[in-house]
Amino acid sequence: MSKPERDLLRRAGEASVLVLISLAGGPKHGYALIQDVRQFAGVELGPGTLYGALDRLERLGLIEALPADERRHPYRITVPGTAALRLHLDSLERVSAAGRLRLQLGGS
Amino acid sequence: MSGDGAATPDGGPLGTPGCAQTSTVVARPGRLVGAALCCYPARWRRRHGAEAAELAVLLIRDGAPAAVIAVSYLTGAARAWLARPPGRPLSTAAAVLLAAACLLGSTAALVAETTPARAASTSNAPASHPPCTSERAAHARSC
Repeated sequence: MSKPERDLLRRAGEASVLVLISLAGGPKHGYALIQDVRQFAGVELGPGTLYGALDRLERLGLIEALPADERRHPYRITVPGTAALRLHLDSLERVSAAGRLRLQLGGS
Repeated sequence: MSGDGAATPDGGPLGTPGCAQTSTVVARPGRLVGAALCCYPARWRRRHGAEAAELAVLLIRDGAPAAVIAVSYLTGAARAWLARPPGRPLSTAAAVLLAAACLLGSTAALVAETTPARAASTSNAPASHPPCTSERAAHARSC
């Protein structure tokens, strides 16, 4: 039996997951990332939080920097990043389904 | 990626004020944010400094308060100092914090260990009974 894959994003924090979801839609630089996350999640990412998440994800090999466009560094999701995001979202879906089921059973 | 002599998107001057090590930078985001950016490690500023300053300029233009951006960068700077740089087992700052935590932990453990002994020594033991020592703390009931 193969060992289950490790969810790298489990402890990476919400900002990292949001950044990865945004990059799953295509390469972006910092400002575009903040705007995109605001649009799809309604979350206002602080710039310090953003760069922390970018550094963390890059260290994990889940994203990579593209050649700088003037001062802006666009980032893109890597193949391991796509796999990690898929795994994490599957895990979130299982948790979410369990929560909804228990809410129904509990009559809340 | 030298930004010297160039201009910000709104035509403003470049260079981060009060940050001597960031010479290759930057859109001028204001004193507060500039100071916060200076708190990052030099390695981080070389990599992200110019872009981070430009991002701050854009966010401020969008209506974000400069103080909020500065606080976000300050928090990020603290995290950047504590993050392990690649190839180095533990940063100096983290090592100092770890040592301080260990010291505090061992002091707390020492205090916790000696407290029952002191408490036991104030019990109604006969005057002839020898006082409890820390060695006997584990056997406080016998005192």
